[in-house]
Formats: sequence, structure tokens, C-alpha cells
Amino acid sequence: MLRYVLRRLLQMVPVLLWMTMITFMVMQLAPGDYFTNLQLNPQISRETLDRIRHTLGLDQPWYIQYVQWLWSIVRLDFGFSFAWQVPVAWLLGSRMVNTLLLSLTSMTAAWMLAIPLGIYAATRQYRPGDHLLTVLALIGISVPGFFAALLLLYVAFYTGWLPIGGMTSPNFDLLSPLGRVLDVTHHLVLPTIVLGVLSVAGLMRQLRGNMLDVLRQDYVRMARAKGLAERAVIYKHALRNALNPLVTIFGYELGGLLSGAALVEGVIGWPGLGQLTLEAVLKKDLYLIMGSVLMGGFMLQMGNLAGDIMLAYLDPRIRYE
Amino acid sequence: MTRLDARRAVAAVVALAVLAAAGGAGQAAPVAPRLPDIPVPKVSEGGPGIRGGTLVVSTISDPKTFNVVVAQETSSSAAVGPVFEGLVEEHGETTEVEPAMAESWSVSPDGRTWTFNLRQGIKWFDGKPFTADDVVFTFDALYDPKVINSFADVLTMGGKKIAYKKVDAHTVQFITPTPFGPFLRTIGIPIIPRHKLEAAYKAGKFMQTWGVNTPPREIVGTGPFMLTKYEPAQRLTYERNPNYWRVSKAGTRLPYLDRMVRLIVPNVETARLKFQAGETDVYGIRGREFSAFKRDAARGNYSVYEGGPGFGIEFITFNQNPRGAKPPKLGWFSNVKFRQAVAHAIDRQRLINQVHAGRAVPQYGPESPANKLFFNPNTRQYPYDPKRAEALLKETGLSRGQDGKLRDAQSNPVEFELNTSAGSSDAEATSRIIKDNLEALGMKVNFLPRDFNLLVSKLDASFDWDAIYIGLTGGVDPHNGRNVYHSTGSLHFWNPRQKQPATPWEAEMDRVFDGAASTVDQARRRQRYNRYQEIIAEQLPVIPTVQSLGQTAVRNTLGNIRYTNYGGALWNIWDIYRKR
Repeated sequence: MLRYVLRRLLQMVPVLLWMTMITFMVMQLAPGDYFTNLQLNPQISRETLDRIRHTLGLDQPWYIQYVQWLWSIVRLDFGFSFAWQVPVAWLLGSRMVNTLLLSLTSMTAAWMLAIPLGIYAATRQYRPGDHLLTVLALIGISVPGFFAALLLLYVAFYTGWLPIGGMTSPNFDLLSPLGRVLDVTHHLVLPTIVLGVLSVAGLMRQLRGNMLDVLRQDYVRMARAKGLAERAVIYKHALRNALNPLVTIFGYELGGLLSGAALVEGVIGWPGLGQLTLEAVLKKDLYLIMGSVLMGGFMLQMGNLAGDIMLAYLDPRIRYE
Repeated sequence: MTRLDARRAVAAVVALAVLAAAGGAGQAAPVAPRLPDIPVPKVSEGGPGIRGGTLVVSTISDPKTFNVVVAQETSSSAAVGPVFEGLVEEHGETTEVEPAMAESWSVSPDGRTWTFNLRQGIKWFDGKPFTADDVVFTFDALYDPKVINSFADVLTMGGKKIAYKKVDAHTVQFITPTPFGPFLRTIGIPIIPRHKLEAAYKAGKFMQTWGVNTPPREIVGTGPFMLTKYEPAQRLTYERNPNYWRVSKAGTRLPYLDRMVRLIVPNVETARLKFQAGETDVYGIRGREFSAFKRDAARGNYSVYEGGPGFGIEFITFNQNPRGAKPPKLGWFSNVKFRQAVAHAIDRQRLINQVHAGRAVPQYGPESPANKLFFNPNTRQYPYDPKRAEALLKETGLSRGQDGKLRDAQSNPVEFELNTSAGSSDAEATSRIIKDNLEALGMKVNFLPRDFNLLVSKLDASFDWDAIYIGLTGGVDPHNGRNVYHSTGSLHFWNPRQKQPATPWEAEMDRVFDGAASTVDQARRRQRYNRYQEIIAEQLPVIPTVQSLGQTAVRNTLGNIRYTNYGGALWNIWDIYRKR
């Protein structure tokens, strides 16, 4: 197992290299750079901008710039953001915890709901409960996140039950430690519903499908025939086998923990990474984009690896040696 | 409480008592209000107010830096707006230049030497006195080629810097290479503290100093509010500067408010809900929301303030650059009658109704009617008149055939591409209406919104374009537009960076701009700029469309609000107070 993990970790290096190189190339080959925006500012002359580009090395071919960027990454220097003039690492760090908090709560909510509902739907196939869940799932899949967020903000506005966006109240600093926890929890409800509950739909349908497949297998019939209780058949035999593909999905989701949800974050005003990255892409803030691509790619691969390891533990048939 | 703290508290109580006494005396007999530590405080013209309270506003994005000299965008400059100040300031209503950190100034008879007397007693937030050294340091930094900022180019005349020197601790002198008309309006750049930044500047790290990762207490200014906390993507918190140099007529030390919070709300709809729910005090209303906000004003306990037209310009421009435009298009576009026909063909009332929900006014010249000091109302007007447009087109040799298509003398059909920045919904809607108007005359207009960066490279480098609809922000002094209207300018869209003026009217415009820049007498400058507006309205290298109106909603619990489109709702932040 250890050798397998080491091999996988080594494989990450070429993947990350390839990924960052393509991103870098695409960013640099598209017309304009971060400073193009300033070209239409009557108060900044062309000479000034050319001087900036020269100082930052932006007038060199993209591959030279890429190698220079790579060299600084090797020394664990993520560079400076053009727009912010602060280290990229600080920018990403300032929002990482917020995104992680939101991703974890919504992921937990999604899985806690999806697994029981999937089992429920599969064991009651084509009965009213299953139909109702199918309709709800379709709605959940088709409503875009930012739209749901906006709708819920209106609900919050008219009922006054939930805060209108943000992560903390303006008087957060004056609250007791418990008050702070409650305040953040209160603010978490709305984005958790949008990101978590709406993604229940996909997971639930996936589990339902897997369960139905498994329930038709011979060994399930066998288990029932030998007189096992239905509970034991479903939870001990069927569920463990039906969960395998979901573990892979779980691995992917682990990888996406730090990706953030730019549109929903924007509507709700959640101080996360998604909004930061989106703005960076729109403005072509090169090193900030590269920093988040690198981080996202790393997380995705780690998530996949975690998923594969979990699979090996859960399913004795899977061995990596 | 330590002994030192106790002493400070006593001192504060005594100071309050003195202030209260001064306030009472001020009401009884009109004596100039005083402050104990500032010999000549600036007396605010605002009405009376009450001390205390918090103001909450929302803003669309994070500040990118707290370094006010290198700040490039409004999100950053607005965030440190209440923290830093210049020697002079613009009045939010009259737009006139007034003393701020300088008490007074004088100019030599040749119009080149300006002497500023700094206001004495001003302290930085950390208690260090503000002196001429800080002014000199600020100019050292912004003229440094390694420091990228938008002040240096404006303060450079024909490649020459303004000379500046400290005369004594409270006097600074500036000497311009030639008399410089817009001098006072450009000299109000925010002053930064030498004692805090000199080390970083000498180490060549000025650009990266005072980034948003700096502890806010380090951001030391002289303004009405001190930044006390920045939570990325959430909010900025400010506290009152207890040593501010402005005083009310009644003798109260300003500002009135204790705290100010700027919430960062990236989505406009969310910002609107927050205002309607009473979480914020100010909301900039979009044109199409105007009537709904007016209707609900009483219920929401707010008032809708109308600020009149803005200062920018939106226009359609045609490529007249022989380095880019090819015949026959070059011929049509460089014929003034063609451009005048287009100006008459644009249905501005339709733009006002459909794009701006009625909240805009037509604009025919390059300066906005809001510019009280420089707007010339007597320029040529182009009311919507398709018949007149058709007649003008005929005069240029373009006429409609049997099939209704407009053709030139060589029977080339008049067809061209119209671009605008993709993603700007107002610009796209406007371009579609203009396309519709022009196609009614028999032209074929291919409307293609383009990525902003691509548009810039077309305008600035490849010159490969036909017609573009675009907007520019503006200021009070027309000199700001020099880069657009002077034939050597890089934003002289229709034919940029000319060696020699291509046409007689461009030559005249160059003379107007050069002349007005080197005249210090404001009345004579106004005359010259009147002429520039006449030329543009006659020649139409840019064809202005409409000027949108500004409006904002402010909670009725705030007093002394004097909203203007130019200054915004908070330009007199020191006067604004919370009613009880």
C-alpha cells in the first residue's frame, strides 16, 4: 500500500506540470493581460505601462515566463498578484478557511441526506415516496445555484429568519466565543441549503440506481432466501456493495473542497476562494490564477488518492499491489 | 486601569467640557470656532449635527491595496478615501477647489510658482505631526519610475516634472516648467506619512507596502476616519479620528459619527436587499429601480436623492485612421456629413426610455451638462431627425437604391461592423438601438460585442475596426481629456498618436488644449474649452449619445446629506450625523 501511495504521489508531478503549463499558455496566448485594462485610462501613459510590463517580465515569451514561475514555485514562492500587490499565498490563505468551512458543512449535509434518501427510494421503487423524491431531485438538479441563492435571500428578507448574506454580523467582534459560533452557524444555513441540499439530488439518484442494481443480484436473493432479516440484507449486504461508486465520487468531492462556488459565493457574499478566483480570471491576474489552479489540481489529485485508499479499505476485493 | 490611562481619561473629560463651552459660546456670539491644537481649523459649512453613531454602507468589491498612491481603482481609493487627504480638495457641490491640508496658497505673477501654507497642528493617526517633509516625500514617491500610479503622468508637462521643495516645516513650493492651468485640480493628491513609508520606499518595496495584508493600525493618515479592521471579502471598519482638523460652525470637532462600516457585498441584488432590510444606510439606485424606490421611500424610512447627470461620456466613434481603415469605409467615416447624419439618426429619446428607464438626458457635446464650470451649452445639437440624416447622407454621395440599400457613388453598399465591450448590458442594448436606427437609413450594421481586451488591442494597436460604442469616465477639468482630444493622444480613438494633425480642426483643437493647459487664468481657460466643445460637436469624431442621471437612497436617520452625482452621498462625510 505504501509503495502504491508513493507511486501515486510521484505521478502527481507530471500531471501538475502539464496542467499548469497548459493554463499558463492559454492565459498568455489570449489577447491582452492584466494591464490592458489600464490602457484605456487617460491618466496612465503607454510608456508607463510598457515599463511595468518590462519590469514584470510580461514582454517575454510565455515559455520563459512559465519557467520563471515554475522556478519560484519550486522555492515555494507563489508570487505577487498584479491586482492586489500582495503575495498570492496570503490571498489564498485569507479565504481558504471560509471556503473549507462552507464546503465541509454543505458536503456533510448533502451526504447525510442523500444516503438515507437513496436507500429509501430504492427500497420503495415506483411507489409514491420514490416518485416524490424523483420530482424533488429533478427540481434540485435543474435549479441553478445562484438563482436558488437569490430566491433564498428573498425568503430571508421577507421572513427575517436568516441573515441576508455574509459570513458574520457587523458586531461579530463584540460577541462571546459561543455567540460567534452561533453567528457563523446562523449565516451558514442559507449557503448550506443552496450548495448542500441542492446537490443531494444527484447523489441520491446515484445511490438509488446502484442499490437497485445490487438488490437484483443473486447474492441478495440468496441472503433473503436463507431467511436473513430485510434490514440485514439491505444494510449489511446490499448497501456496502452499492456504495463503491459513491466512494469514488466522495474522493472527487474531497478534491473540490477548496474550489469554492464562485457564483453562489458572489450572490451570498461568502468570503471564499471562488469569488477571488473568478475575479482573477476576469482580470487576467496571472499569478493568482496559477496559484489557485495549482492548489485546485493538487487537491483534486489528493482527493482521488484518498478515495482510492478508502475504496481499498471498504472493499476487500480491491488491492493495489 | 493603569495610572496613565486614568490621566488620559481625565484629560478627555476636560477637553469635552472645553468643547461644550466653546459650542455654547459659538451659538451666543458669532466667533470663529476654534480647536485647542489646530490654530486655524477648517470650518465646515454643514448644518448642526449630533456626535456619535455608526454609518453602514456597502461596496461591491474588496480594496486591492491600502497604498493610496498606487491604488488604481475605485474599490481601493474609496476604501482609504476617509483616511487620506490632499493639500486641496474639490467641493462636492460646486466642484470648486478649496483648501484642505493646506490653509492657503499663492501663485507668482508668471503663474509658475505656487506656494502652499500647510495647516498647522495636523497630526497623523499615530500622533506624529504632519509637515512639509511628508508632502515632499509623497511627490518623491509618485514621480519614482518604479512606482506605478495614475498621478505622475497627469503631473508631467511635456515630459517635465513639477519641481517641488520644502521652504520651512509648514511651507511647500511647487514650480511648474510652464504655467499649468489645471495645476490646482491635479495637486490635491493624497499625502502619505514619510515616517511610516520611507524605509520601504528606500528599499524599493513601495509598491508592495501597505497591501491589504497590512495591520490596519499601520495605515496612518490624517482623515476623518481611521481604518481599524479589514476582514477580507467581508467588511472594513473605521473609527472616528479624535484629532481631526475640521470643526462645525458651532465649534464641535468633526466628524460627528463614531464609526463607519463598509460591507463588501459583491452582488447588487443582495446589496439592495440589505438596504431594504435596514442593514445599510445608503444604496445607489439603478435607473430602472428609480420609480420602485421612490414609491417605497416612506415605508422604508429613506429618501431618494437625485444628483443630476454624471461626468462621463458614452459615444460611438468611427475609424478615420488611414493606418487601419480601408477605402471605401475610410472615405465615408472621414466625411463629417456622414458622422453628422449618424448623430441625427440616433433616437436618443428611445435610448433614454428603453435603456435607462427615463433616467438620462441627451448629450451632444464632449462635456457633460453637469460640469458647471466648463460646460458650453451653445454647441451644435443633433435632435432625432431621420429626414435630415438622409439629406446629409445624400450630400456625401450616399443614396438609397430601389432595393432600399444605401450605396456610395461607386455603388458599394454601406456596410460596417459595430463593436462594443461584451458583457456590458447597457452598452449592448444601446448599440442594438443605434444599429436599428442606422439600418432604417439603409445601412447594414453588423453588431458584434467583443471581449474588452480584444477591443483595446483593436483601438490601440491593430486599428482594425469600423465603429465602436464605448464610454469614458470624466472629471471637471477638460484637461483630463487631453489624451483623447489632442491629436498626439493615445486615446485619440479615431486616429491616435498622430505626428502631425491630420485635419485643420484637429490642429485647432491641439492649439486649444495646449493653450488652455498653459493658461492659469480660469476665465480664459473656460473660453478656450468652450471652443473645443464647439469643434467636437461640429466635427463629431466621437458622437455622444446620452448621459445617465444619478440617484441614491439614504436612510432618513442620517442628517446633513448633500448628495451630488459628482461627489456621491458621502463627500461631506465629516458633516453627516445620525439623528436620535
